[in-house]
Amino acid sequence: MFKYLFAKSEDIPQGAAAVYFGFSAIVWFVIGTGLGAFNASKLAFPDFVTGLEFVSFGHMRQVHVHAVIFGWISMAFAMAMMYMTPALGNTKLWSEKLGIWNAFLWNVGLSLGLTLLWSGMTSGREYSDFPWFIDLYIATFMTIPLGINVWMTIIHRKTQGIYTTNWFFGTAVFMVSIVFIVGNLPEFFHLTGLTEAYLTWWFAHNVLGLWITPVAAAIAYYTIPKVSGNPLYSHRIGHLHFWSVVVFYSTPAAHHLMSAPLPEWLKSFASVEGVLILVPAVAFVSNILLTMQGKWNMFVENLEIRFTVTGCLMAIPLNMQGGFQQTRAINWYIHGTGWIVAHAHLALLGFSTFLEAAAVYLGLQTLLKRKLYSLTLGNLHFWFLLIGFTTYWVSMTIAGLIQGAGKIYEVPYIDVVMAEHPYMIARWIGGSLVFTGNCFWLYNMWMTARAGTVIPEGRMAHELAYER
Amino acid sequence: MSWSFDSPLRTLSDEEKVRKDEVLWENDNLGGVHEDNNPVPAPVVWLVGLTVVTAFAITFPLWGQRPTAALYEPYVNSMDKPEVLAAKDDKEAMARIVAMNKGTPNDALLERHPLTMDDLRIVAPQIKALESKGAHMHDFEVVGDKVVTANFEGNYRADGSRIRQQPWWDKGYTIDLFYLSYFFLSVFIMIKRLPPTSWQPKHDH
Repeated sequence: MFKYLFAKSEDIPQGAAAVYFGFSAIVWFVIGTGLGAFNASKLAFPDFVTGLEFVSFGHMRQVHVHAVIFGWISMAFAMAMMYMTPALGNTKLWSEKLGIWNAFLWNVGLSLGLTLLWSGMTSGREYSDFPWFIDLYIATFMTIPLGINVWMTIIHRKTQGIYTTNWFFGTAVFMVSIVFIVGNLPEFFHLTGLTEAYLTWWFAHNVLGLWITPVAAAIAYYTIPKVSGNPLYSHRIGHLHFWSVVVFYSTPAAHHLMSAPLPEWLKSFASVEGVLILVPAVAFVSNILLTMQGKWNMFVENLEIRFTVTGCLMAIPLNMQGGFQQTRAINWYIHGTGWIVAHAHLALLGFSTFLEAAAVYLGLQTLLKRKLYSLTLGNLHFWFLLIGFTTYWVSMTIAGLIQGAGKIYEVPYIDVVMAEHPYMIARWIGGSLVFTGNCFWLYNMWMTARAGTVIPEGRMAHELAYER
Repeated sequence: MSWSFDSPLRTLSDEEKVRKDEVLWENDNLGGVHEDNNPVPAPVVWLVGLTVVTAFAITFPLWGQRPTAALYEPYVNSMDKPEVLAAKDDKEAMARIVAMNKGTPNDALLERHPLTMDDLRIVAPQIKALESKGAHMHDFEVVGDKVVTANFEGNYRADGSRIRQQPWWDKGYTIDLFYLSYFFLSVFIMIKRLPPTSWQPKHDH
């Protein structure tokens, strides 16, 4: 890929940037989940690797979170945008060269940012832990160039209409850039106190709500109709979904601070909007499941469909939790407990990861014109991911409820820690399964690029039988 | 942008625009991906309606509130009664206090926020001090071992004090009502500008 950085634009093959992003995403997924499993082992076995500051839990937790969000998830999104946006406009990516540089600078910036976090240099603001200059770097060299490529590709499309997926892509890259610049204002201008707290959670909420959730859903809007061959069930539900994400998801930041001295009316407003995230969820899930009509056999037979539908089904518990856990009635119990950690993993490792994995599987096979090297490894990846994630989610949810009870009834902290211990071991087992599955995936995709069966022009990977 | 209001639940576009949209819908090849023109299913409409009602009902500050000083005032006033003082231990004393204060509108709240005698001994002097000052007891919350001014700023009373009690409705909900109305109206107009759902595009070309 490095040879294309200084190549002439016409010498760069179509899809090169997407492939670069795709493989980077998988590598970051392996690294991110490896770090996650390592961190979980420290919680399960507190005497494991002690005495080294840079591998202490406080340092490593941030590295894990940011490797997964900005490495795996965001680079998989960029990959999906690099191949789906032009495909849906019957055109080429506006600039493959910009895409290649974008992927290169993304990897450089992320490596630098994570190294700083590792060494202990952090803003101390959850989800925007990167120091301020890395935040500026992310906006300048990562999200805005991605946005330019997406917007220009949409502008130069050869269709009159714009498909639902591209509404989400074009809007999400705009919104995430704004979120980065505005959400990090406390770091740029040393804003403190309640303003800092509010903007920190405005940032954190909207990185999830205006970036991860809509882009993951947009991917499903492409994958399911493209692979199943069915038309998207309803253009109208697409409208309901898109506008409800923009309108309802952008407002509930205050619901992360229900016990803070923010104005109560702001909490009331945010809390209602928080429940209303169920509107886009209902729209999304119904549209995708109804699109599957007559093709449910593919849920069993086709890997991309299985990943996508599983991710889509996870949107149901995800939004039921997300909608209600922020209300005054429930928040007092579960706030600050492992329940929230479980919910965050349901969003990032459950819902969105399954949708992105499908996009990366589909995209790499399509762009490399190679059928997946091993379906068995693909299936193993799916089940390791699903079983590992479920083990993690269930154990952390239970641990969170124990912590909540301990908090409310003022049980001594050490007793709560002891009660949680079995669930911390389960968390470590679940995380390790996810990491192992991802190692299979990296190997499988590497071998796909080198030895996958060639896909003839005009055919899709799943239409061909395996030759091995 | 030609509108028709003859049949707003069917479509808000005139025949010419509908025809143009239908031709575009069928002929625009979006990278081999197509869309149908199905209506938003009735169960989805119901679920969205239910979500809106639930969103208001479950977020009212009637739920998940901290206990006020007013809630424990009767408990504090019962501490010196002979039958409480005659109890053999703290557990029995607390049980007697709870029993003698049953049958008030606060039963459910007191059940949700139980106390021990030790808790009561810690907050009792603070509640008595407020009583002696003639404070509005609903304006104070019990947070752990402290009785503090509630975190809500309402209107001023005639005596100059400020109401610190959260109403079941505040301006956040009013803003929500307007916000939701704009949203649903906009989305309704947007989807009703499309060709009527009685027409479905053919994707066989």
